[in-house]
Amino acid sequence: MGAILAGRYNGNVTDAVIDAYKKDVDRSLLRINLRLSPEERIEKLAALQRFAAELRRAGLRARPR
Amino acid sequence: MTDFRGLIVALAGGRVRFILVGGVAATIHGSARLTQVVDVVYARDASNLRAVADALAPRGVYLRDAPPGLPFRWDEETLARGLNFTLTTKLGEVDLLGEITGGGGYEALLPHTIVVELYGHAVRCLDLATLIRVKRAAGRPTDLAAIAELEALRDG
Repeated sequence: MGAILAGRYNGNVTDAVIDAYKKDVDRSLLRINLRLSPEERIEKLAALQRFAAELRRAGLRARPR
Repeated sequence: MTDFRGLIVALAGGRVRFILVGGVAATIHGSARLTQVVDVVYARDASNLRAVADALAPRGVYLRDAPPGLPFRWDEETLARGLNFTLTTKLGEVDLLGEITGGGGYEALLPHTIVVELYGHAVRCLDLATLIRVKRAAGRPTDLAAIAELEALRDG
């Protein structure tokens, strides 16, 4: 990523950024998801959304007033 | 929060012809990323516009991020006059897309879909290769990490 920002990359910049992100993709999470049915994947997304909402609420409550 | 199940069932149960695209489609393909919007490409024929309007009408449709009190009327005429709608409903956020960059409309995308069983309905979802293609075509910097994950799913 640093090479791209420094202008030293000669190829397609979009591909380079995607490749840089790809190195950090957590494939263990993908393998877990692929063992689920499509409906179970949506339900897991909904649970993740509820969890994220609860974290946001907790963060707001913790802010000094 | 978005009721993914509620929105999918409302559309599929209302016999709407639609294709799941965007983050929910990515989830169906195994993505672990969080999305809060149901993005769908819908067929633009008159009977489907009526079906879309009827399916969502009981769910309190309004323009997302618009100030309250606008003279917004949710019906097939409004759908016919527009193309892509970013909406909020009692079930959460939904984007109704007449066309998407790099993919076109419902009929053009249809050969590039898979059918998945969701909540008792057969629902069309953009296939993985096309999902990657349209995300690349959209050219949004925020999509680049999502594309990396989708390509990892494609490459196994």
